[in-house]
Amino acid sequence: MASLFSVAALIVVCVTTMLIAFYGLRISRTTSDFYVASRTVRPWWNASAIGGEYLSAASFLGVAGLIVLSGESGLWFPIGYTAGYLMLLLFVAAPLRRSRAYTIPDFAQIRFEDSALLRKLTTYLVVVICWLYIVPQMHGAALTLSIATGLPGWVGPIVVAVVVCVTVLSGGMRSVTFVQAFQYWFKLAALVIPTLFLLARAIPEHAASERAQSLSTQLESVTTMNMYETISIILALLFGTLGLPHVLVRFYTNPTGSSARTTTVIVLCLLSAFYLLPTTLGVLGILYTPELGAANESDATILLLPGRLLDGVVADALTAIVVGGAFAAFLSTTSGLVVSLAGAISQEFFNGTVRGFRISTILATALPVLIAVLTSSLALAGAIGNVFAFTASTICPLLLLGIWWRSLTAKGAIAGLLTGAITCGLSLSVGIFLPTIDLWWVHLLRQPAAWSVPLAFVVMIVVSRGTRRAVPQNTDRVMALLHVPDPSSNS
Amino acid sequence: MQNPEAEHHSQPDSSPVNDLPGRFAQQRPQRVRVQAPQDASLSVTRQPPEHTAEEFYVRQLIRSQLRLACAVAAGLLALLVGICSLLVFWPVVSDIELFHIPLPWWVLGVGIYPLIIVAGMLYTKAAARNERRYRSISRG
Repeated sequence: MASLFSVAALIVVCVTTMLIAFYGLRISRTTSDFYVASRTVRPWWNASAIGGEYLSAASFLGVAGLIVLSGESGLWFPIGYTAGYLMLLLFVAAPLRRSRAYTIPDFAQIRFEDSALLRKLTTYLVVVICWLYIVPQMHGAALTLSIATGLPGWVGPIVVAVVVCVTVLSGGMRSVTFVQAFQYWFKLAALVIPTLFLLARAIPEHAASERAQSLSTQLESVTTMNMYETISIILALLFGTLGLPHVLVRFYTNPTGSSARTTTVIVLCLLSAFYLLPTTLGVLGILYTPELGAANESDATILLLPGRLLDGVVADALTAIVVGGAFAAFLSTTSGLVVSLAGAISQEFFNGTVRGFRISTILATALPVLIAVLTSSLALAGAIGNVFAFTASTICPLLLLGIWWRSLTAKGAIAGLLTGAITCGLSLSVGIFLPTIDLWWVHLLRQPAAWSVPLAFVVMIVVSRGTRRAVPQNTDRVMALLHVPDPSSNS
Repeated sequence: MQNPEAEHHSQPDSSPVNDLPGRFAQQRPQRVRVQAPQDASLSVTRQPPEHTAEEFYVRQLIRSQLRLACAVAAGLLALLVGICSLLVFWPVVSDIELFHIPLPWWVLGVGIYPLIIVAGMLYTKAAARNERRYRSISRG
């Protein structure tokens, strides 16, 4: 019974996504021409679309799971995801919109016209980051589907991959802003409804004084992370958001630099509103499903809670709503990433032809599916945290110094990117195989952001200083392009 | 990178007006395609830098925007790291409870978000003010 509801919800979400993709173009032609509109898209729509794309498996399932797993420390993840957007607003939003760059390799090319190597290197980094980011989405899909329906783990990733491929290949990504704006509100609803039902059940139960006394004891009983790890994660999330490829593409639909800022402030509000829900559900998870933390299945918290607190049709329906929302999260994030990724691959290897884009799309989805099926899931939010650490050590210094420091040289940028990628990548991959023991060097390897991000910055700055003569001639003009306010805006 | 879908759908765009019957053809709004810039438009004219007043004002603008962004970012970092170390070095805070939930949970789970939003709003206002100042100076 429960699985029937969930399968129905899953099918509804997948079919709706594909239908919007197929007919999105037609709808947009008969109502208001969508792509004209997208230049004057109201910041609210744009912000909803950014929220829809950004809230991935890690946010939807992972945050509550991490709170169950590591208690108070888990609360830092949603804070980091949100505060990362504040950093984006502060340093990147308006200048990047004015730069007319569509992707990070584009930005590298605008800033350093002569360095084909830098463009190539950023392309490769974007490809790696996208893949690392898609794999946890696939893990989430595998987990959700096997818990909700009992189907084997590989079905989930395949469903996501097929739907994403069909959507992207049909050209339906044209209406992507439209789809993703809706998906934000859908995901929000898919958590609001269960949260309200569960709270209505849990609060009267806890009002009985004895259980209420035990509430704080239970919350405090979960072992937390140590201070170094927490600070390292905060840094990774704050600086990692700046360089996410699928996030940056979204800024292109803002008409001006200052509207890009308005959009980002609204995104901050939308994310804050959203993260209250997984946080609440995580607290409920500590109370009702604490054993999941010990069994390393904490990511299933949100999926299992309705069944644990309620029973009968209500529980099944609520589970189905959560499953639908979770798949909306996997689909929206993955399709955004696949478009960025396929674009980068086709540009690099197929000269950007349409046929090349199609082949790249299939490549872009097939490899993560394979990896996801062959590997087992880390904690989702933790896996995404590692991707943020990698982005923060590579793309982030390039963007920050590229936008704000005129003395950056292509050689400096390349040296910094390589240093960040190699040190952070190596220590993360070694760290995965290390047992969780409380030694300082294990912590340093498992959470490298606190040292690898400053290291990448320092290398970029030092090498740029050493190659001072190589500062491009047109730097002043590029800087003016990035920072001079748009003529048409009157704010 | 060029936007591949733009090419992908260029077929219907090439003759949009002819597709529509009769008088509707006249009413159809002109389509404007948003697409990634072609390589040509990515290059910024390359001439020796001009050391004019304009150049100086742009530098001033960049400096003031950077100072503003760094101030807000430093404030945010100090706040987050401060809270983090407070919880580690002064765990007594956890004894304070509100509705049976320890104070740190309220601060981290709910309290920080409004601060982030307010910081974003204040920054946006201040950044727009910097740009207005630049405009009035560079025009006058």
